Amino acid sequence: MNVKRYSNELIVLAALLFALMALGYKFSQRTAMAEKNQAMAKEVAVFQETISLKNIWGDKRIGKKLESIRKMVPASKVKWQQKGKKLTARFTDLKPSEVNNLVTKFLNIAVQVVSLKVDKNGDTYTLEIQCKW
Amino acid sequence: MLIHRNMERISTDTPVDVMLTPQFYTIKREPLPVKFAYQAKKIAPSLFDGLLESDGSYDYFVYREGDTWVFIAYDLDEVLAFLAQKGIPPEKTGKIYFAQQVWKKITDPIPLGEKEALTVLDGTVVVVPRMALPGANFLSFDESFRPSKGVSPEVGGQTLFTRKQAIVVAAVFVLFGGIWLAEGLRYGKTNVTLQKQLNEFYENYPALQSAYTRDSIAGKYRKIDTEERKKREIIGKIAGLIFKGVTLTEFDMTQKKFKAVFVLSDKQVAKRFDQLLKSAGFSKSKASSDTKIIVEGTL
Repeated sequence: MNVKRYSNELIVLAALLFALMALGYKFSQRTAMAEKNQAMAKEVAVFQETISLKNIWGDKRIGKKLESIRKMVPASKVKWQQKGKKLTARFTDLKPSEVNNLVTKFLNIAVQVVSLKVDKNGDTYTLEIQCKW
Repeated sequence: MLIHRNMERISTDTPVDVMLTPQFYTIKREPLPVKFAYQAKKIAPSLFDGLLESDGSYDYFVYREGDTWVFIAYDLDEVLAFLAQKGIPPEKTGKIYFAQQVWKKITDPIPLGEKEALTVLDGTVVVVPRMALPGANFLSFDESFRPSKGVSPEVGGQTLFTRKQAIVVAAVFVLFGGIWLAEGLRYGKTNVTLQKQLNEFYENYPALQSAYTRDSIAGKYRKIDTEERKKREIIGKIAGLIFKGVTLTEFDMTQKKFKAVFVLSDKQVAKRFDQLLKSAGFSKSKASSDTKIIVEGTL
């Protein structure tokens, strides 16, 4: 092949190849960036979720918060047994409004309810809750 | 190969570079105050006004020689037609040079056939009859006469593009290529906001740097979150079933199931209770009676 004779075509071909390679590079970079950003966004989301869940269910002030519930009713009505991060509480002679308040308070604290039992005895209620955190 | 009017016909399979004798071009020297060849080439046609045949289509070859510019006008079509006639078709024509370019090397005449010779008169290469050079020593024409610059004929039909078209098209491709390359480089940079956020997390929560640890912790708390939200939702729904005339007498919830017992005061209350029960998504247990309703379910 006479290279000199086809020098014009070779110039155009070289420029075309350059343009095509640049286009390929652009698309590959775009795909790679999209994948990378997607992975990073996922990682950020997992981080945020983990931190937020940990802050809720791993809250170190749960013990103190539960202690405040204990003081909501007279001590004579409460049997409170706390071992580490496990609590069994039994409330007796409760009015319906007291039951309602206590349940609401317990459920507003991020404890894991193992069991919750409410029984009506005549005009009063008994509430027993076992929870951990 | 030196090309002259009386040359013999040749046969060639390979491209041939040729040097034209003055029989095929017209020369003019001008001391012009221009710096570049392309500027000189622009004014070349005006310099040959009246010197060339008006029906010819001329191209110009320009080069500098000291302080003066040398202009050579030639009719490429005529040259190519002559070469073809002598056995060198356009596709076999390589570079075209002009004898004037090497006038300094022509220290003695170069023979052109039996009757003519190429010689230099006052710095201009001319064709003279050999009889005008009695007793002269003749030089043989060889590769040493090849000048550095020449003309590459662009023959219509042989190439897809002229040089000008090729340069324009190539420039467009290079421009687009450059733009796409720049875009590609820009894409290569990561999302700064996300990266910054991640770096902050890594810095503030070193314990969560490992993806394995992170997934393990997230998995543990996600399970707790789902289960506890479900429990709270059921308790909320059960509480929503209590209104005047409805008494909750028993409620028992464990990790896996729940049971609630309601006592209703009358049928009207029972009717409303049924509606609430349905909208809460619960159903009565088979053990229920008209006034004592048992609701059971799993978590």
